[in-house]
This record gives sequence, structure tokens and C-alpha cells, in this order.
Amino acid sequence: MSDLPDHAVAPIDTDQPPGNSRRAFLRGTSLSAFGALLGMTIPFERNLPAGIIPVALAQDTGTDLMSGKTGLTIMSDRPLNAETPAHLLDDDITPYERMFVRLNGLVPQTALDANAEGWTLTVDGEVETPLSLTLEDLKAQFETVTKVLWVECGGNGRAFFQPGSSGNQWTMGAIGCPEWTGVRLADVLKAAGVKPGAVYTGHYGNDVHLSGDAEKQTISRGAPIEKALEEDAIIAWAMNGEPIPALHGFPLRLVVPGYPGSVSQKYLTRIWVRDQVHDGEKMTGYSYRLPAYPVAPGTEVPEEDMVIMTVMPVKSLITFPETGTEVPSGAATEVRGHAWCGKGDVAAVHVSTDFGATWQEAELLAPPNRFAWQRWRANVTLPQAGYYEVWARATDADGISQPPVSPGWNPRGYGNNLQHRIALVAT
Amino acid sequence: MHQIQLKLALGLAALLGSAALAVAQSGPDPMRALRNEVQISAADPMAALRAPAATETEGPAPNPEFGNLPDAPGAEETYYQCTACHSTAIILQQRVTDARWDDLWQWMVEKQGMFDPEPAEKEVIMTYLKTHFSSER
Repeated sequence: MSDLPDHAVAPIDTDQPPGNSRRAFLRGTSLSAFGALLGMTIPFERNLPAGIIPVALAQDTGTDLMSGKTGLTIMSDRPLNAETPAHLLDDDITPYERMFVRLNGLVPQTALDANAEGWTLTVDGEVETPLSLTLEDLKAQFETVTKVLWVECGGNGRAFFQPGSSGNQWTMGAIGCPEWTGVRLADVLKAAGVKPGAVYTGHYGNDVHLSGDAEKQTISRGAPIEKALEEDAIIAWAMNGEPIPALHGFPLRLVVPGYPGSVSQKYLTRIWVRDQVHDGEKMTGYSYRLPAYPVAPGTEVPEEDMVIMTVMPVKSLITFPETGTEVPSGAATEVRGHAWCGKGDVAAVHVSTDFGATWQEAELLAPPNRFAWQRWRANVTLPQAGYYEVWARATDADGISQPPVSPGWNPRGYGNNLQHRIALVAT
Repeated sequence: MHQIQLKLALGLAALLGSAALAVAQSGPDPMRALRNEVQISAADPMAALRAPAATETEGPAPNPEFGNLPDAPGAEETYYQCTACHSTAIILQQRVTDARWDDLWQWMVEKQGMFDPEPAEKEVIMTYLKTHFSSER
């Protein structure tokens, strides 16, 4: 730290353009000056690597934006992560205030300021014609599409693995299904001309690394080129008819349905078409990877035996009634929810009120488009007063169902699609 | 079924005296377990209905000065090491193996730009994390 100039603290110029300028200023300032700015000393400041500035000064974490959300459970405040209780996910189209929040870094200043001026999306790499597209270019040059698409964190359900695995302990609510408006990813890739050597996409955004280091990527994941060229994925600028909110990727993001949410890059600035499997931040190691073979819970799997998680498993939620609700015995009670599958289709949903001993088929509606979650509902009759659980089980078109217990333990706790269940008390 | 419950209740009442009788007279409460969540162990299938971390009650009391980390040796060092990047909220959620903690440390140093302190200090922090945020103890 001592090699940094210990000059006087200058006021932050609020007229500076958004982006990295404020951080650039801070990077040239000594830590004792940071302490003066914070109004306190920074214990253990020796732990801060050169060039890294305290998060408290680097960037607003976006916490204030959580006031626009209702009823969410905050898992972490820096970075911001919050899930939605199941009974608040009853809407067919998830409204903003009930959309879960999953951030790997900090909300970029451009999003906090809702400033999309000069925003460009670069498409380069294994393409015939690299593109640099403004939001206006995207809107003018490609067909606009609006789709209802679910986005689910790959770690949704992590809390139920034993032994535990590291990361946010999502229970059931790291899922939402808003309506997105944008252009097809495939159309943009085709306009750039994907070369035969293309293997994978690599996605980049301008969110800020937790360390405050402007050189570090927060997260950069991608999809196999075959998946990217399917018609489902979109580059979106609107969510539920409004510009994409700051917490969800303003002004531009990918929505790649069926894959872990991390593939759907927020704050999208670049799509790098790769001639190899993308090796960006959180593509390698144990991040968003599963063991190549089944392992006993708690097994340490060698890194080379971890494979990239792609298609999300079939799953369902009971969104009505809320768990613990009292209902009359001997009369029909409506239970309902949503079902979805990374393959894009759910074939059936069944419910049980006797701990899985018997099952009845629920009514299952067709989705408005592929990769929208599907509404299901059923009437259950609880025979006598007492405690019951409703279990829901979705089955995909290949006959694969949700298990009643946590499936396939893995070191980082991904892909837990165990059946959701709620308590009902018959009176 | 009702008769069995009544016999049980009366039997308990006879054994435990008037206090138990009062409970028996109010009838069984099917939601009792849900209203008293902390008594359900994490191994109980009902744990699926809520986040396990929220019901943890064992161990040292949280210290607000150090982001509510359990007040024990190593809390201060852990607080200042980790909150350079993220809040303690993510630490407080963890129940992982020692091997996962070792891997996480390496990942944060190599990939996330975390400062790697002197071995003695690292030992203090890792011991603290492995003691209080473990699936092994």
C-alpha cells in the first residue's frame, strides 16, 4: 500500500460520467484516504491487495432497490441475493416485485442510473462479420419477439443437500417467469455469420466484481452453439413491458431458457463466439458443474471429473395455498402451482396428500410459449381433521419425474429438483 | 383413532398429573411442530419446508460488531478478511465440509483476487470457518 501516493482526499466529482470513472479515481487514492472518506479507519487494510478498493466506496450494492420487492427472503446483502416464498409466486407472469434476485457481483453504475446512453453489444469471435449493435440497431434490424420465459438459478434447492454445499442456501424460490421482450439470439448470431468452427458462446456484462477490481470479470458463462442457435433464447431489453430493472440486467440481458440462470447474462455487452468450450469466469472448476458420475453425499470429486451443468431438471411448485393454511375437511380444496422443465416440456403433474402413498393427476395447462412455466391445479379432499402435506410431482415428456428426496448430491449443490411440499391443516 | 388418542392422553395425564391433563383437554394440535420449529432436527423431512440455516440455534452468540459472526476466537480476523469483498450474510449460510472450505479459499485467492494472508492468520480464519460453518461438526 505504501507505494501509492498519499495525497489529500479530493471530493468525488458527481458530474463525472457513469461507469468506471469513479472507481478509477479511487484506485489512485491511498487507503488512509479511503478511511477518511468512510469516516473510519479500515482495520486489516493490509489485507486489501494493491489496486483493490473497499467495496463500501467502490459501488452502491443496489440494496436500496430491494425496497421495490415485496416479501422476498434476502439471503445476502453484498452481493444481493434474495428468493421468493412459493406462495408469492402464484402469478402466471412473475411481476417485478416478486422476481428473485441473484447477483454474482455489484449492480453496475449504468444500471443504477438507468443510463443506456451509448450502450453497445459486441458480437465477435468465430463469426464472418463482427457486429457492434446499439439498442436502436437491435430494435431496427431484427424481429422483436415477446415471450414468457422462466429463469431459475442452477443452485435453487441447494439448502436441502446434506452435507451442505457452499453458496447461497436457496430453498425453492430462486425461480421466476416474467415476460421478456427483445430479439432472438439466433437471429443476431446468424446476422454475424457463425463460422463452422464455432463451439460455444461466451457472455460478458459490465457488472462490478466484488473486489472492486475493474479488470476482473464477475461472471462470464455461455452455451453450446447449438443451444444458442435454437429459436428460444432472446436478447431482451424489456421485462413485463418495462425497461429491464437494474437488479435484472438493465439495459440488455440474455434469457437462455432451460439452462441455469447464470447463462442468461445480465448487463450484456458482448457475445464472444468461441472456437472452444467457453472458459470464462464461473465456467470452470466446480462452478455450475456436476460430477461426471454419481457420488455419495460429501464425496470430494476431482476437478477434472466435473462437467458443465446444462439442461435444468423437471420441477414444480405449489403456489397456492400457502403452507400451513387451514382448510375444511371433507370438502374439495383447490391446490395449484407451476411446472417447468429444462427440456421445454412438462407432460404431467400429480399431487399426493398422503405422503406419496397415492397420487392423483392434476390439470396441466399448455404453456403460452415453449419454456414458459405451466399452470397446474387439482382439487384435493382431506378426509378428516388433522395434519396433511400436499406433495407435487412433475413428469417430463421422457417419463422422468421429480424425486421425493434430494437427488444426486454434488459439491456445489446444483440441480436439486426434489418435490415441493406444503402443510395443510384440515379442520 | 380418536379412542386411541384419548387413551394416550389419559394415560399421559395419569402419569404427569394435572398440567398434562390441561394439555390433553385442549386436544391434539396438528400444527404444534410447525409452531415450534426449532425442535425439529435438520434430519427431519419437515426441514424441507423452510431454510435450515434460519433455525440454527447452537453455538456462540452472534457478534453485531463483526457482522453477526459467532462470537468466538477468529471472528475478528474472519470478518476483516472476508468483508473486503462480500458481507457476512453468505458466510452465515454455510454448512460445508473442511475440504470444501479449503477449495473455496483457494478459489477466492486464485480466481477472485482475495488477499492471501500470512499462514498463521489463514490458519486462524480457516479454523474459525471450519468450526462454526461446518457440515462435519
